[in-house]
Order: sequence, then C-alpha cells, then structure tokens
Amino acid sequence: MDFSSVLSGFAVAFEWQNILFCLLGVTVGMLIGVLPGLGPAATIAILLPITYNLEPTAAVIMLAGIFYGAQYGGTITSVLLKLPGEASTVVTALDGHALARRGEAGPALGIAAIASFIGGTASIILLSFIAPALAGVALAFGSAEYTILALIGIFLVGTLGNGSIIKSAAAAAAGLLLATVGLDPLMGTPRFTFGTDQLADGIDFTIVAMGLFGVGEILYNLEHRNRPQTAVPSFGRAIPGRLHWLKSRLAILRGSVTGFILGILPGGGATMSSLVAYAVEKRSAKDPSRFGKGAIEGVAGPESANNAAATSSFIPLLTLGIPANATMAVLFGALMLQGITPGPGLMSDHPDVFWGVVNSMYLGNLLLLVLSIPLIGLFVRMLKVRPGVLAPITVVITMIGTYSIRNNAFDMLLVIGLGLLGYGMRKLGFEPGPFVLAFVLGSLLEASFRRSMRIFGGDVTEFVQRPVSGTLVAILVLTVVVVPLLRKVRTRQTANAEQSGVTAE
Amino acid sequence: MVDTEPEAAQGEAEAPRVGGRVQSVIAGAIPVALGAVAAWLSFGLNIGSLTEPGPGLWPLIVAGLLVASGIGIIAVTAKTRRDTEAFTRGTAAVLAAAGGLAVYASLYEIVGFEVPTALLLFAWLRLLSRESWLTSAVLSVAVTAVAYVLFIIGLNVPLPHLIAF
Repeated sequence: MDFSSVLSGFAVAFEWQNILFCLLGVTVGMLIGVLPGLGPAATIAILLPITYNLEPTAAVIMLAGIFYGAQYGGTITSVLLKLPGEASTVVTALDGHALARRGEAGPALGIAAIASFIGGTASIILLSFIAPALAGVALAFGSAEYTILALIGIFLVGTLGNGSIIKSAAAAAAGLLLATVGLDPLMGTPRFTFGTDQLADGIDFTIVAMGLFGVGEILYNLEHRNRPQTAVPSFGRAIPGRLHWLKSRLAILRGSVTGFILGILPGGGATMSSLVAYAVEKRSAKDPSRFGKGAIEGVAGPESANNAAATSSFIPLLTLGIPANATMAVLFGALMLQGITPGPGLMSDHPDVFWGVVNSMYLGNLLLLVLSIPLIGLFVRMLKVRPGVLAPITVVITMIGTYSIRNNAFDMLLVIGLGLLGYGMRKLGFEPGPFVLAFVLGSLLEASFRRSMRIFGGDVTEFVQRPVSGTLVAILVLTVVVVPLLRKVRTRQTANAEQSGVTAE
Repeated sequence: MVDTEPEAAQGEAEAPRVGGRVQSVIAGAIPVALGAVAAWLSFGLNIGSLTEPGPGLWPLIVAGLLVASGIGIIAVTAKTRRDTEAFTRGTAAVLAAAGGLAVYASLYEIVGFEVPTALLLFAWLRLLSRESWLTSAVLSVAVTAVAYVLFIIGLNVPLPHLIAF
C-alpha cells in the first residue's frame, strides 16, 4: 500500500467542500433510509444529473454517503415502528422493535448507531489493505478474465437477489439485450436502433437507472401508497447502558467480519449480510430463545454487518470495475459520467479520487454517529411527510434531471417507458437489480467475450485452460455451490421476519 | 391524466395480492417473445462464427438465454409458488401517471418547462394523491418556482423556459 497516496487521500477528504458534500450525502442518505419507498439506488440515480457539474471526488463522496447513510436511517424506523426503511434493516426490526416496546428504544438505537459505526469503520480499514492487493492482481487480467468476472458478477447478483433465480436470469438477459442497442462496440454496425439517430449512441446508463429505479419505484408505490400512520413510541436518549454494550460487543465484532466478507460478494451486500449475521448471533447465543423478544445482540450483529457490507461492496467496483449490487451499478454510472473508468487502474490513475472517497467514509461514519443520536427525533418527524406529496416532487426532479443530460425530450420518454417496464417487472415478479447490473456490464461482457473468442480461435475450452481465467471459472463453479446455502439462510430468516409481521419495502 | 377510480386512492390492502396463474404464464411468455424477436433481428445482422464473431452473434446468444429462461419460468411457475402481484385498480392510476408524464415530456420543448411542471404537479397532487385544492395549488406553484431557482439559476441547466431575467 502506498502510504503517501493514502495520506493525500485524507487531505482530499478533509477539503471543506468535500466535507460539506459528505455531510450532505449522509444526511440525504439517512433521510431516505427513514422514508420508506425510495431506496438508495433510486435516490442516487435521480441525483446523477445534478452531479454532472460537480468535481468527480465530491460527487462520488456525496453519492457514497447516501448509500451508507441509508443503512443508518433504515434502522430508525425498523426499531421504532417495525417499518424497515431499507431491506437491509428488516432483521433489525425483530429484536429492535421488541426492545422498543419494552421501553428500551433509546439504547437499541444507540447500540445500532455504535454497531454501524464500528462495522463501517472496520470495513474501511480492511478495504484500505485489501483493495490495493486485489487491484494489483486484476491489472494482469485480460479479456478472458473479464468475461468470466462479469459472468460471476451477473450470476451472483441474479442468484443472491430477492427474486427467483430463473426470473433474475431472464431479467439479466433482458438487460444484456438492452445494452446491445446502439453501435456494435467492435465494428460500428448499428443494432436494434430501429432507424432512429436517437438510439445510435445506445441508451445512456443514467436513463436506465433513473427509469427503472426512479420512475419505476414511484409508479410502483403509487399503487400501494396508503400506509397507516403509526404512533411513534417515545425513546428517550439514544445512549446505551454499560450492560447493553457488554452484551453486544462480541456481536458487533462478528457482525463486522460477516458483513465485510459477504459485502465483497456481488449480490451479497447489506441485506444478505444482515440476515446471515442475525443467524450467526442466534446460533452462537447461549439462550437462542431470547431472540425475537428483544435481544440486543440481534440489533448489534446485523447493524454492524450491514454497514460493513455497504462499505466492502465498494471493493469489487473500485478494484475490478464490477459493481456488486444495484447501488454500486449506479455509482459505476456516476464514475463513468465523470470520465473515470472504475477498475484496477483507478487507484493508480486517480489516486485522489480513490483515496479521497475511501477516506471520506471515516468522516461520513463519524458524522452519522454524531448526527444519528441527537437528530433521531427530527428524522422520525419526517415520516409525517405524506408519500403522496413526495412522489410528484420526486418525479419532477427526475424529469428535469433527465432532460438536462442531453437536452433531449426523447430521453424523458425513454425514462417514462423504462419506468413502466420497471413497474411491470415488479408486478410480474422480476427484480430490476439484475437487469440494471447486466445492462451496465453488457458492453464489457460482450467486448471481452468477442475478443477472447478471436484470441482463442473460437475454442471455448480455452477459458478453462488458461491459469487465471481457469481459476476464475473454478470460483464461478464454487459460487454455484455456496449460493444455495446462503439462500437457505436467507429464506429462513426472512420467514422469521415475516412471521413477526415485518416486510421489506 | 384525466381521472382515476376513487377506490384506487382509498387504498387496497397493505399486502399486495398474489397474481393468478395466467399472470405467471405471461411472466414467462414475455421473455420468450422478446427473445424470439431479438433472435430474428440478430439473424438480420451478421452472425459470423465463434472465431470471427459478427455483430449479431452476441445478441443471438442473449436472445437464446431469454427464450430458455422464459420457458423455464413457464415450466416452474405452472406448478410452484406464484411470485407475481395481481394488478389492482391502482394500476389505472399508474397508467394515468405515465400517460401524464408522457404529455409533460412532449410539451417541454414547445411551451417551456414552467407551465407543464406546475400542471403536472397540480394534477398529480389533486387527482392521484387526493390533496386539497388549496394544498395542490400552493405546492405546485411553489415547487415549480423552487425548481426554477434551483435548476435554471442555481445549477445553470439549459431547460427550455418562458420566463427569463
């Protein structure tokens, strides 16, 4: 690890405008985490056009802040109202809300904030050591390796996502197909443009993300918009006692490790790791029957895990150029918009961006810890804003943002069309995540596949015979074995959560 | 966005109903149809060979994947759990909203962004969100004004606009 660039990264992170954007990002993140309906992927997608004019580091610092800030925010409504703002905090609601009913909401929120802080921070430290090594290995990757890597990414996002595997495969295939619209990457032949110049450059990633995540989610929520207003229990001060801390410190440690490891896996991410961490806590407890009735470890473990995972899911994006989840796919788009290609070269070509963003996360986590304790009351009050008022305002911002990308009304129609597609997919049981991810990786996958085939003289078995790509193929095969295990844990935990009446937004 | 059923706004049950078997089959039929069309179009491009892949080869592979997974969906959902959501009367509201947005987008370059934005906000707040006349009117004008200040004056976005300073 090159310490001078790490240090200059701190200098970048602590420039006053970057501190400001970090604060802005984590606050927005916490806010949308509290508000059910709009997730971090949608929010970042909607804000993409606004980041056009920002400096790259500031833009990514802010967008990253939204992502990990949302993990903190989602916890608040999970504990107080049993309404998880984010899928990654569903499992927190089990014991968190039980604690709240017992009048221990304050300590539960306090432990959640501290666990999130420790999980996030530990994960940044690990990332700082592992990312350079991984990027170093990845520098030697050629077309064959990238073909397999992109396949692993799409496969894991498809299989570890929430929907059925086969539907995720179909969604991913549709995303790959949409990515072929435009000029052929190697030969320049127009494909699926239906004769319009509007499609000749292909469809901008921002359009796809804003359509599927932004407009799609708004339309979907329009159908189910009436939620009963729940009374917020009083929670006093969000400061845990000594006993709570003693009980949860090992859970925090275990959760951080679980979260870090699962976060690196594409598709694993925050949701999966919080569920696995909960299972780990329950398994390792002396008296598992306490779980679901207000065990503080059931809050500490998952909360440290989802934040650790949120941080470590940056690793595949920043070192390999493979986004690990839907939000990372949107961040991938954000970097591309700024003219920065995420991948093994990022760290050496743009050390200021890489280390600036990574080191800003220390600050962001600290800000979240400091903010979340005094401001919980304020954020809870935000729940009173009616979704019916928020939706049209969000739509208008999305539309104006879309227009501003190319000053083109055709793009707005595309976003609306893709929004309807997103709505239809949700209704028919398809996850938009694999679609968007496959769309992002589509051109990389196709170009590397075709280059490899040329190099290999049309022999597909070469993928297995070359040592590096062969190893990656072995990893791909290994994931086929690991995935069902992880899915099993998740199914069981989600079933538990659903039994107690908690469902994800 | 003219009208929506009043019941739609009163809200369906919190948990969405599961869709029927027909809907499950449709969920598989769509990828099959999409894949078939894409495959047909790919043949129109040059397929080439594995050694010298043409522009049509990759879309053809992807189309094959779509058809295969679509068939898989039909085969699996015909006998197992149904993971679709039934369309409700709220679907009409969704379609109305999308239609309204399309009209909004088409008006943009003709009459500038201010009037369509205010109208869209008003229609959405009043008809879809069932806010009061007063709230809808005040909010739509206020949000349009804020958007004007934020995007045109603040961020210098070249939106087509009527009012110039």
